[in-house]
Amino acid sequence: MGKTEKAITMLHDMECSASATTLHPVCLTLVTFIYLATMLSVPAESLSMLLWFAIYPILMAPATGLDFNRIFIKSLVAVPFALMIGVFNPVFQTEPVFSIGNLVVSRGWITFLSILVRCLLSVQALLILVGNGGFIGMCHSLSAIGLPDILITQLMMVYRYLTILLAESLDMSRARKARGYGRSHMDIRMWGDFCGQLFMRTVDRAQNIHRAMLARGFTGRMPRYDCRNRRWRLPDYLTLSVCVTAFIAMRIFNLSSIFTRIF
Amino acid sequence: MSHHYIKFDNVHFSYSNGYEALKGISFLITHGEKVALLGLNGAGKSTVLLHTNGLLLPTSGEVNIGGIPVTKKTASAVRRAVGMLFQNPDDQLFMPTVEEDVAFGPLNMGLEKDEVRRRVAEAMERAGVAGLEKRAPFQLSGGQKKSVALATILSMEPDILVMDEPTSQLDLVARRRVVDVIASFSHTCLIATHDLDLARDLCPRSILIADGRVTADGPTSDIIPLFISQYS
Repeated sequence: MGKTEKAITMLHDMECSASATTLHPVCLTLVTFIYLATMLSVPAESLSMLLWFAIYPILMAPATGLDFNRIFIKSLVAVPFALMIGVFNPVFQTEPVFSIGNLVVSRGWITFLSILVRCLLSVQALLILVGNGGFIGMCHSLSAIGLPDILITQLMMVYRYLTILLAESLDMSRARKARGYGRSHMDIRMWGDFCGQLFMRTVDRAQNIHRAMLARGFTGRMPRYDCRNRRWRLPDYLTLSVCVTAFIAMRIFNLSSIFTRIF
Repeated sequence: MSHHYIKFDNVHFSYSNGYEALKGISFLITHGEKVALLGLNGAGKSTVLLHTNGLLLPTSGEVNIGGIPVTKKTASAVRRAVGMLFQNPDDQLFMPTVEEDVAFGPLNMGLEKDEVRRRVAEAMERAGVAGLEKRAPFQLSGGQKKSVALATILSMEPDILVMDEPTSQLDLVARRRVVDVIASFSHTCLIATHDLDLARDLCPRSILIADGRVTADGPTSDIIPLFISQYS
């Protein structure tokens, strides 16, 4: 299976996993966004405070039927972006914070690690959210929370465009292979042509799909059809209250120093 | 909409690249008629169909659906009445699951959830795709996609059915089912097709289009031999 096919299958699996979730999607969305708000508001230098937030993905992933190892590996995709943002911090922020033996750790290294950890934790939290309700499920949850419809529709359209892009690139790649007679290499000019054609094809497909949507009464708002009719149950209320309390505690109190004092 | 008729009055249409696809199309399809739209590839059949739904608007001339002139303002009212099956089912199916796709139209019509569920189940049964509810449309075979696309239209319970190549990509069983669905549809029906057997079986009247113009309009039994003799 090629990379494009894998990506398409992954997108589909993500949507299908929506049925396997045990928590109410709105509950999980709320928990995720409160988690992100509290975690991202931790001061850049408080790395020890931040590390406590790593508990959430470790516990929540298996609790909702996901494999944390897979979540962690997938979250590594975001590492290059974090590196790009924080790589110069050790160069510009040179004031020493503490030393381990002869090794002096500067403020820059702390903030750099802080950016890296935040990035990983944010991506892991979002992967857990999307892994449980699917991307569309997440959009509906955001809508239920009160985000504007126009934003939700845009998110759904972007997601739909992504699937079109993958499907069209798969078709084009298969067509090229079928007439490539074993030649896998594409020179830069061919890549240019391929990307240009892909763009034109996806725009054309997107236009046709938009017409089909208009033909069935689309007025700018994606309707919701959820036959599951989920209601909030006790585990949802419990999860929300426990998580929110824990996040606020982790944000306000430095648990590391409290534990150090106790033990 | 008291009468489900389709009226094209000297309709001209040019695409944004300047290509003139329709050059003065005129015809009237009265309530309950089943009409086949015949013609070669590129003759303008799909462009005609897109005009019935207000998805394309004439450069000049008028399209009238059941007494409502099709304009930007009236497009949403027209679309409630006209169910359109697209040529390529991949263009018609855009939701994550088949069930959600079939429910898309009825939900946009503002129907109650129970009514939507009833329509979805009924449409899927009629189109022969019951059991595929939770499948992703892109994972279906070409024929299944076409049948699901048909279900998305049936769930809207339209007054007028407009279909672009409804039997392409279908196997014998699925084709038979589509034929049955069209045959049981008691309202107006306009079908663009290359399937001459379908036209002969279902449509007493045919309109022949060539180069954006109506070249013949009459009983299918007369039009088909003319079509074949012109292009064979």
